Amino acid sequence: MLGILSYGGYVPIWRIDRSTIALNSGMGSMGGERSVAARDEDSLTMAVEAGSDCLAGFDPKDIDGVFFATASSPFRQKTASSIIASALDMRKDVYTFDFTASTRGGTSAVRAALDSVKAGSARKILVIASEHRVAQPSSVFEQLFGDGAAALLIGDDGVIAEIEGFRTASDPIPGPWQMEGQDYMKTFEPKLDRLSGVLEDMPTVTSGLLEELGLTSGDISKFALAGPDPRSYMDLARVMKFDPKTQLEDPMFSTVGITGTAHCLLMLVGALEKAKPGDRIVCASLGEGSDAFEVKATDAISEVSGKHRGTNYAASKRMIPSYGRFMDWQGTRDSGWPPNDSSCSVVTFWREEKWAFPFYGMKCNKCGTIQYPIARTCINCRTIDDSQEVKIAKRGTVFTFAHDYLYAHGLIPADGVNPGTRVMSNMEDGCRIWLEMVDCELDEVKIDMPIELTFRVLHDKGGYRFYGWRARPVRG
Amino acid sequence: MKKSIRDRVAIIGTGITKFGERWDKSPESLITDAVCEACDEANVDLQKEVEAGWVGVAYDTTGASANALTDPIALYGKPVTRVENYCCTGMDAFRNACYSIAAGVYDIVIAAGVEKLLDTGGSGLKIDQMYPHTTLVAQSAPGLFAPGAMRAFKEYGWTKEDLGRVAVKNHHNGVKHPKAHFRREITLETAVNAPMVCSPLGLFDCCAISDGSAALILTTPEIAKDKVGEGNYATVKAVAQAVYTRYPFNDPNYTGISIPSTVDAAASAYEQAGITNPMKELDFGIVHDCFTIAELFHYQDLGLCGTGESADLIREGVTSIDGAFPINPDGGLKCFGHPIGATGCRMVAEISRQVLGRAEGYQVKDAKAGLAHNLGGPLSVAMVTIVGTPEWEPGG
Repeated sequence: MLGILSYGGYVPIWRIDRSTIALNSGMGSMGGERSVAARDEDSLTMAVEAGSDCLAGFDPKDIDGVFFATASSPFRQKTASSIIASALDMRKDVYTFDFTASTRGGTSAVRAALDSVKAGSARKILVIASEHRVAQPSSVFEQLFGDGAAALLIGDDGVIAEIEGFRTASDPIPGPWQMEGQDYMKTFEPKLDRLSGVLEDMPTVTSGLLEELGLTSGDISKFALAGPDPRSYMDLARVMKFDPKTQLEDPMFSTVGITGTAHCLLMLVGALEKAKPGDRIVCASLGEGSDAFEVKATDAISEVSGKHRGTNYAASKRMIPSYGRFMDWQGTRDSGWPPNDSSCSVVTFWREEKWAFPFYGMKCNKCGTIQYPIARTCINCRTIDDSQEVKIAKRGTVFTFAHDYLYAHGLIPADGVNPGTRVMSNMEDGCRIWLEMVDCELDEVKIDMPIELTFRVLHDKGGYRFYGWRARPVRG
Repeated sequence: MKKSIRDRVAIIGTGITKFGERWDKSPESLITDAVCEACDEANVDLQKEVEAGWVGVAYDTTGASANALTDPIALYGKPVTRVENYCCTGMDAFRNACYSIAAGVYDIVIAAGVEKLLDTGGSGLKIDQMYPHTTLVAQSAPGLFAPGAMRAFKEYGWTKEDLGRVAVKNHHNGVKHPKAHFRREITLETAVNAPMVCSPLGLFDCCAISDGSAALILTTPEIAKDKVGEGNYATVKAVAQAVYTRYPFNDPNYTGISIPSTVDAAASAYEQAGITNPMKELDFGIVHDCFTIAELFHYQDLGLCGTGESADLIREGVTSIDGAFPINPDGGLKCFGHPIGATGCRMVAEISRQVLGRAEGYQVKDAKAGLAHNLGGPLSVAMVTIVGTPEWEPGG
């Protein structure tokens, strides 16, 4: 049996009220909130979060491939999936591939993973779709878009939802697009995209899929569909003949927004979280055509319930207080922060990959002290070259801390108003680490508070992007 | 068998420039002023008599290598070394110079330090050049002490007011020092309510970014008598240093409330000087009050009081200039700022002047011997120097 072995999700903790955005543009508010990636998050870091959530309970060394899908890769050249695989502590012979440039990439990656498992070249492949699209200020997309990620583990052993069919269509409709050198996504004629893409490609593919499986829309418990805006779901329900009230999985528009490549997969995760054995779910994407696949929950679905944070991430939130802060984080205005003109060695970064990505420290063979980073000499008993590399615990408590108004995170000069919070943490394995703390309010940071690690952009220096782990308050 | 450095090196000349925002002065000009003042006081001909030099410069933007000393004063054809050791830079230049005299290799040498921090712009010390690492977390200078302050507040019940008392005391002392950067009294209220720099450290908990230079002429006690005469030179009783990790906050043994490099440097210095009770046997101290909380940590790490008792010392006025054991009678880094390369040399110059009774206006009564303490880097490098009159003996 081929299908989904596990699922995971991620939504950044930050939200902005759409009325706050509306106030700036003069456009009416679409209501509710949208999620916003923090200043140090991008599609890659969110993918690590969702992937990590999906792999809870699995040995990462047991995964044969990582397929990363996004229309907002931080890199024009460089696979994000290679960094994601390392951050998730996978084997060196893991097969990594990025599906980029289309919001259809997430479902295409599911198809590729499925085919690989079917062909026998892999047993388990982690598919992660993640999106952090920065919309043009004052455009309608500012309110429509949200940031988030979803992950599915595809394989043939321990299936919680069998993938019974997959169908696709390719259609070079005009938009949306983003060309080299363009800062934001463009569209030419949304009406045409709507008629040809949303209302033709997706229904055609989906009805073909159901027909192939001998099913009707009435047999489907939930539809997890990509849509360019909240209104499109009503149109799709009409054309595809399902009841939006009972059969449409919550598109999370009022809490998260349209998360591009991740969107229909995040909805699928939401549907799987609630699915009972035998429930059928259809997941369909959009992007120069459409992909659709149908899954049927197995008896094993009940066993994973509550084991992953998935769409629960959407429930914990903090509000971004102003449109200006939103612009600073999105990078859509020159924020006036002091320049970051120092440089870092990319060579050092490469050499110390094991500290930076999978977060290994060392354990002294003589005194047993676990310490970070990996060094040749034990900081406690001072024995040289007698230690082993160990993975550091991802949770701990604050031993002490400081809010630094001189240097922000990433050792970038601060503006004197927004401090960099750092915490000296005692991890669950006894390791002591000095970490930068994110996703928190200043006055909530206290000695002894529990923290967990989160994968973030440490800084962009010398034209290169450096990633690593930071601390955050434990998210519910 | 190791031999103590006690009374084998004499300080015969000291030079201290005005510290502060010396926008119009170059580092070359500042160090020239300090060196000339020290040579005049030492009755030494710079070109003819100074045989070697050590110069403390922390930032490359201030000066490069030996030329930071040689070019401003055209001291050519002689061995000169630049020393860099975080905030101990200046005192470590002095330490190396001491050894050359104690070893009998030279008769007269110079130790000088200079830093032009204002020329680099920005707020606080430039840290990014000192921590070029890509992933390990670093912080500003106050960011090194603020976490310890949080622990001390929790464990000892020290307060923001205690920190403020350190600032008030040192500012009071600095008013009298003509070379200090800041020369005005502050109130406890001002100190406690100042804008935050790195919580819980506010503006008045931090020393300033300043420019300045200091120089010392060293020789043997025998030559000192000849050069400046009895009563006009001090002798080195101890010069100690100890180093710990660059990443203390990754160290599971770090407590936040004690700085082990200071503890070890102090133990070594007291052994060299033959001291068992510094509070009783010494008369005063000049400690590295880069941040107010640091001064409180130093009290206990230098053995002036028991663990957790530092706040009592400041509350009870023990360390005031008229107290039982004055700390920073000169005004400290709080009033002088901290031009890195210059600071350690200035501290040694200050204790030398105190024991010779030359600290007019800020003189510690009956000062015969005192200590100077430096702390550099991420709490990693500490130095303790003890200087006294040639007649001073431990045990007193």
